[in-house]
Amino acid sequence: MANVIFKDVHKSFGSFVALEKLDLDIRDGEFVALLGPSGCGKSTTLRMLAGLDFPTSGEISIGGRVVNDLAPGKRDIAMVFQSYALYPHMTVGENIGYPLKKRGIKGAARAEAVQKAADLLQLGALLDRKPKQLSGGQQQRVALGRALVREPQVFLLDEPLSNLDAKLRSYMRAELIELHRRLGKTMVYVTHDQLEAMTMASRIAVMHGGHVQQFDTPDAIYNRPANRFVAGFIGTPPMNQVEGTVEGGDFVIAGHRVPIDRTAYSADLHDGPAVLGVRPEAISIGSGEGLPATVRLAENTGHETIVTLELPDKRRISARVEAARRLDVGQPVALRLDPAAIHLFEATENGARLNLDDTPASVIPMRST
Amino acid sequence: MKLLRPVLLNVFTWSLVFLIAFPLVWMIVTSLKPQSELFRIPPTWIPESVTFEHYWRLLSETPFLRYFRNSVVLATTTTLFVVALGTLGAYSLVRFTYRGRETLALLVLFTYLLPSVVLIIPLYLMMVTLGLSNTLFSLILAHTTFALPYALWLLRSFMEGIPEDLENAALVDGATRIGAFRDVIFPQLLPGIISTALFTFILSWNEYLYALVLVNSDAVAPLTTGVMSMLISAFNIEWSLLMAASVMMSLPLIVVFAFLQSYLTSGFGAGGVKG
Ligand SMILES: Nc1ncnc2c1ncn2[C@@H]1O[C@H](COP(=O)(O)OP(=O)(O)OP(=O)(O)O)[C@@H](O)[C@H]1O
Ligand SMILES: [Mg+2]
Repeated sequence: MANVIFKDVHKSFGSFVALEKLDLDIRDGEFVALLGPSGCGKSTTLRMLAGLDFPTSGEISIGGRVVNDLAPGKRDIAMVFQSYALYPHMTVGENIGYPLKKRGIKGAARAEAVQKAADLLQLGALLDRKPKQLSGGQQQRVALGRALVREPQVFLLDEPLSNLDAKLRSYMRAELIELHRRLGKTMVYVTHDQLEAMTMASRIAVMHGGHVQQFDTPDAIYNRPANRFVAGFIGTPPMNQVEGTVEGGDFVIAGHRVPIDRTAYSADLHDGPAVLGVRPEAISIGSGEGLPATVRLAENTGHETIVTLELPDKRRISARVEAARRLDVGQPVALRLDPAAIHLFEATENGARLNLDDTPASVIPMRST
Repeated sequence: MKLLRPVLLNVFTWSLVFLIAFPLVWMIVTSLKPQSELFRIPPTWIPESVTFEHYWRLLSETPFLRYFRNSVVLATTTTLFVVALGTLGAYSLVRFTYRGRETLALLVLFTYLLPSVVLIIPLYLMMVTLGLSNTLFSLILAHTTFALPYALWLLRSFMEGIPEDLENAALVDGATRIGAFRDVIFPQLLPGIISTALFTFILSWNEYLYALVLVNSDAVAPLTTGVMSMLISAFNIEWSLLMAASVMMSLPLIVVFAFLQSYLTSGFGAGGVKG
C-alpha cells in the first residue's frame, strides 16, 4: 500500500508563493503525471514528496503515514532528478549501484541488479565510464537507472526523458509503461511534454501558477477541460478560444451567430459575455452557410493540414483538416462548428467550463491578477 | 618590432625568476661551503670544495631536530584543526539557511582583516589564564585562529561549486547526512581541502611572531624562533649553520608543494569559477 496524499499543502520561498492549496490523492500503484509550464511548481511538489523541501503548511503522506518529518532515505522512494545529480567521481556502475550499497545489498546480488538496470537502459557498455565521459542523454539514462535499480514504494521522476532523442524517448516511454505494469508501484512523473503525460499516465495533474488546475484522466483532461488554462494547454494546436456573447440559442462572434445547445450547459450560463472553446478538429471548413473566415496559412505536416483562419474581426483560430485538402491563402471560407463539440467558459481570465457533461474533481480557479 | 616584444617579455620574466631564485641559490651554496671560504672576497660562485659538515653539526650538536619535530607537530595539528573546523563551518554556511548567515560569514572575514599584532597580547593573556602559556598547544590554537577565517572562505567557495542535488540524491538513495557527506561531498571537496591544508601548513610552518611571543621555552619552540635564537646572537651570526638550517626548513615545503602543486593552483582560482 503506497498511496500518496497531499492535503492542503502550501509552499512559499520567502514571500514568493510557489504552491497554494495543493490537494492530490494518488492511489496505490497509480501512474500520475504532473504536467505544466516551466515554473509552475512541479519540481517543488516532487521535492516535498521526497523530503528535500518542506511544506510551509499542510500534510503529505505516503502509504497512510504522514511523512512531513521523515528523512528522505526513510521514505522508501527513488527519484530521478531534473539535473540528473550523478555522482561525478563514481563510475556509471557505481552510480547505479549506490542506492543498493546504502541498503546493504552486496556483491553478486548488487552486480546483477546493476547489470539488469543497465541492460534495460542500453547502458551495458558504459558501466566503467565516469559521468563526465557521457552524452547528456546517456547521463539521463544513468540517472534513470539509479532510480530503477531498486523497487521502492514510490518512484519520483522529474522530466526523466527530456534529454533523449525522439527514438530513444519513445522506446523509454514504452519501457517505463511496461515497467510500471510489471512492478505495479506508484509513480509520480513530472513533465512539461503533454504527449508523455497523455500516453503514460492514468491520471494527469495539470498545474499552473502554483495551483492544480485539473486532476483527471487523460481523456477527461482532453475532452472536458476544467477551465480555459487546461483547454489552452492541452492539444497541438490547443483548443481555440473565442470571446463573444451568448444570446438565446446562439453564440455571437463579431456579429455572426453560431448555434449552441443551451440545454448542454449549467444554469450558470446566462445571456452575456462568454468564451467559446472548440478543438481544431471540430471545425469543418466549407462554403456558403456559416461563420465567415479567410485562410491565412495552411501547414501540411504530411498526414494532416493545420489551417490558420482569420475571423472577420481579425482574430485567428486554427482548424485541422486532412492532408489532401487544398486551401489557398486568402481564400474566403465558411466555418461550421459541431454544437456537441462546443465548450463554453466563463468570460474571466481563467474561466471555468460551463458544460454539463461533467463535474470536475478539483477545479481551483486561477488567482486573477 | 614584432620580434622585440617576446624578447622583452623573456628578459623581464627571467630577471624576475633570477630575483626570486638568487637568494635561494645563494642559501644552498653557502650551506655547502667550508667555513674558510665563506667570507672570501670576491665570493666564489661555485664552492671550491663541497662540505656537508654544517648539516652534520646542525643535526648532531644542536637541538635542530627537536625544533623540527615541534614544527611538524605544530603545523600538522593546526592543519588538521583548520581543515576540520573549516569544512564543517563552510558546510553550514552553504547548506543551511538561518538568520544572520551572511553577517556571520562577513564577520569571520573581518577578523582576518585585523593585523595579527593587535591580537597577540589578548591571545597571550588568554593562554596564561587558560594555563596554556609556553605550550605547543597554545601555538596550535593561535595559528588556528588566524588561519581559520581564510580557510573558511576558501572552502566555502569550493562548497558552493558542489550542486546541492548531489547531496539530495544521496539522501534519497538512503544515505544519512554524514554518509552523504562522506560519499559525495567529500570527494568533490577534496581539491579544496588539499589547497586549504597546504595553505594552512605553510602559514603555520613559517609563522614567527606568535611563536616568539607565546612561547619562550626552548623545549617547545618551533623552527622559526628556535633556529633564530640558537644561531643569531647580538655578537655573532652562524651563517653557515643558519643557511643549512634554512635549506632543511624549506625542504618539506618544497617536497609537498611539488607533489600537490596542481591542486594548489586550482585552489587559488576557486573564487572565480563555479561549476
Ligand atoms: N529554492 C527556491 N527559492 C526561491 N524560489 C524557488 C526555489 N525553488 C523554486 N522556486 C520557485 O518556485 C517556482 C516553482 O519552481 P519549480 O522548480 O517547482 O518549477 P517547475 O514546475 O519544476 O519548472 P520546470 O519545468 O522549469 O522545471 C518557480 O517560480 C521557482 O522560481
Ligand atoms: Mg522542474
